[in-house]
Amino acid sequence: MRIVISCALLIILSLGLVFALEQAPLGSNHIDKKDKPGRYYLDQGMEKTGAANVVTSVVVTYRGFDTLGEVTILFIAAIGLGAVLYSRKKEKRDQKEKPSASLILQTGCRFLFPLIVLFGTYVFIHGHLSPGGGFQGGVIIASAFLLLFLGCKEKKIPMKSMNAVESLAGIIFVGIGLAGLYWGGSFLENFLPRGMPHMLLSGGVIPIIYIAIGFKVGAELAGIVAGLIERNP
Amino acid sequence: MIVGLYTMLTKKNLIKVIIGLSLFETGIHLLLVVVGYIQGATAPIFSKTTGSSAEMVDPTPQALVLTAIVIGVAILALALSLAIRLHEYYGTLNLRKIRELKW
Amino acid sequence: MVAVLLIVVPLGLAFAMPLFNFVSKHIAGYIPIAAMLCNLILSILLLPSVMENPQIVVLGGLSPPLGIHLVAGPLGVGLSGLISLVGLAVSIYAWGYIKQGAQDKYHALYLLLLSGATGAVLTGDLFNLFVFYEILCISSYALVAYLGDRNGVESAVKYLIQGSVGSGLILVGIAILYGMFGTLNMAQIAIHIKDVDSPAIFLALVFLVTGFGVEAAVFPLNAWLPDAHSTAPSSISAILSGIAIKVGIYAVARVLFTIFGVAAVFQYVLLLGLVTLLVGEICAFSQDNIKRMLAYSSVGQVGLIVFAICIATPDGVGAGLFQLVSHALSKAVLFLGVGYLVACSGSMSLSSLNGIGKRMPVVCFACVVAAFSLVGLPPFAGFAGKFLIIRAALAGKGIFFTVLIGIVLLATVVEGAYFFRMVQTLYFKDAKKQIEFKKTPASASIPILALVVLIVALGVYPDVLLPYLKSAAADLLNKAGYIKEVLG
Repeated sequence: MRIVISCALLIILSLGLVFALEQAPLGSNHIDKKDKPGRYYLDQGMEKTGAANVVTSVVVTYRGFDTLGEVTILFIAAIGLGAVLYSRKKEKRDQKEKPSASLILQTGCRFLFPLIVLFGTYVFIHGHLSPGGGFQGGVIIASAFLLLFLGCKEKKIPMKSMNAVESLAGIIFVGIGLAGLYWGGSFLENFLPRGMPHMLLSGGVIPIIYIAIGFKVGAELAGIVAGLIERNP
Repeated sequence: MIVGLYTMLTKKNLIKVIIGLSLFETGIHLLLVVVGYIQGATAPIFSKTTGSSAEMVDPTPQALVLTAIVIGVAILALALSLAIRLHEYYGTLNLRKIRELKW
Repeated sequence: MVAVLLIVVPLGLAFAMPLFNFVSKHIAGYIPIAAMLCNLILSILLLPSVMENPQIVVLGGLSPPLGIHLVAGPLGVGLSGLISLVGLAVSIYAWGYIKQGAQDKYHALYLLLLSGATGAVLTGDLFNLFVFYEILCISSYALVAYLGDRNGVESAVKYLIQGSVGSGLILVGIAILYGMFGTLNMAQIAIHIKDVDSPAIFLALVFLVTGFGVEAAVFPLNAWLPDAHSTAPSSISAILSGIAIKVGIYAVARVLFTIFGVAAVFQYVLLLGLVTLLVGEICAFSQDNIKRMLAYSSVGQVGLIVFAICIATPDGVGAGLFQLVSHALSKAVLFLGVGYLVACSGSMSLSSLNGIGKRMPVVCFACVVAAFSLVGLPPFAGFAGKFLIIRAALAGKGIFFTVLIGIVLLATVVEGAYFFRMVQTLYFKDAKKQIEFKKTPASASIPILALVVLIVALGVYPDVLLPYLKSAAADLLNKAGYIKEVLG
């Protein structure tokens, strides 16, 4: 009965969707007019912001407020996880000996962990020059920590420093926005000199914001993973 | 996306419902990326080998999808933590049994 | 420029909350109070200057339509004032009420919920509205489960799943709109929507209204509400019923009026509002659990507000906004007061509260005042709200509206029945067992009494709010004016 109703509902939904999407001009060049934001970002993006990756300049500068909201949502997830899984009696869950990982896995993890962190750092520092950016780099770093959990079980993640890094990075982001308000006239305005495109130090505040985001996301996701595995937020 | 919705509506295990939610959101993200597609155009990154800005896809939906993916991850993390708590209380993740709050 | 601070200051303070926690464990409770006080003062200072000319605050250095901007109009600033007022009262209450769990996390989540709500009402860009709306929703998912008991977690899961499906639908609507128009700026979409005349627009509207309607709890989408509002900690129930639902209604109204503005759709949403009202009131009548009863009453009131707003005349929208304000204040008082009563008697069933009125006179008196205000008795704010709604509906032509008014009055009678039953239980029944009587701490009674004073003041002098309501209604209805303000 349940299956029948849900199938009927879904068929109606899909018909509606297909119909709507048929009308929308997909695949055609729909940003050819000059007043569309998409065209503006592509044409003027590199000169105005100095970042070679137009998506980065959109995410950080033009729609920077959305990015602030996004960073906030990740923060909420980390804190909410901590609040939901909070338990006052810190049960020692590893009373029973967990079988430690095999020697190959342990050695591999120890070897790979700094490399993955380095790669993640590379991704978010070069966010404005090549595909990537703060979020992607942060996720890569967090996966390095996940590897550490799975492979080398005796190493513990320092939760206090993760929380501190997270808050500091968040405050830096808001601080840069307020500095833009003070010096530039509007919140999150790009007030540092643009520099030469394709160089590492170009793009004004974009690399700084992305570095802050990279650290924040890495710390948060590592914290989330730690919370889910250890139940000790 | 429709597969995700179907999973959410019909499966009994909470983890399967959460996976259905993830599928649903992934479908929507793909839809958003497709909206920005221009036929024959390339990625919107300037480098020494790309041409002019006239042949690039729309960067805005890609920025939107970045944000939407992060939102989806946050919802999933919260959902999984709630699932852990529920399992502690009820011992099972069968949604038919977790129905203490009646009408 | 000030409008940005309304959003950013609570956000920054919430980010800094773990650092404050390293310094001292007790400081966490004071921060939301300080932030909301700051917001309240800023909103009140900002309000007179935006009555005629909404301020357009540019973000990121790009003027609209190319970047994101905030529209600090009378509706936005007024709603953010309401949010900070209720937020302040509930944060003072929560300072004494939340004593278990990870307290700093509670206060951080609470502050983030309020900054998400403030951001949602102040923004002028569709995707930005979605992001702040998500901030609001996700913090509320976490806060409903805060106490960690079985019921709370179960209702949080249900709320989360329904809310996420809703936000997915909003994204689909945004995708369709962006595909057709190439912009996300609400004013720019509003201009171009006349040029395109295709049913896809109608589908985008359906998706958007359905998605935002999940949080606003209109009829088929409100299954999460009774569970979530009744099992959350009482301060969170107050905020959810008082603020979160209203932001959902605001989002639906903003999408309907400013972006679409199609006259034929209003009739359907009006009918939905009426159905919601009936369903809410009838279900509330049959409840024994007092918080669930209040939650269903919230559903009913949402229906009433949606009905009033969809009358789509300046009087109607103004009346709906007045009712929104009065319901936020009254429901906050009710949930806060009932929270303490439940904490004393230990159970949420109505019959366990027999005769408690003599032992805790202050709190019960406040609850009674708020209940009378919701029903619509004369010297309180609710009477003015319902009177304005009925007067606005009477101005509409034809028998159709008279029938609708009849239904509204019928729902009011049902509402009166269950609230009087509550009053009767509180005062006129004898206590069955000896309830441990705790003296109400000042941190609970001060905010409750302050809100009660406001309810009475609004009831006696409703004209204080009327000029603000008129300009707020004009903000919502006057599509051409909005476009001109934003795009020049």
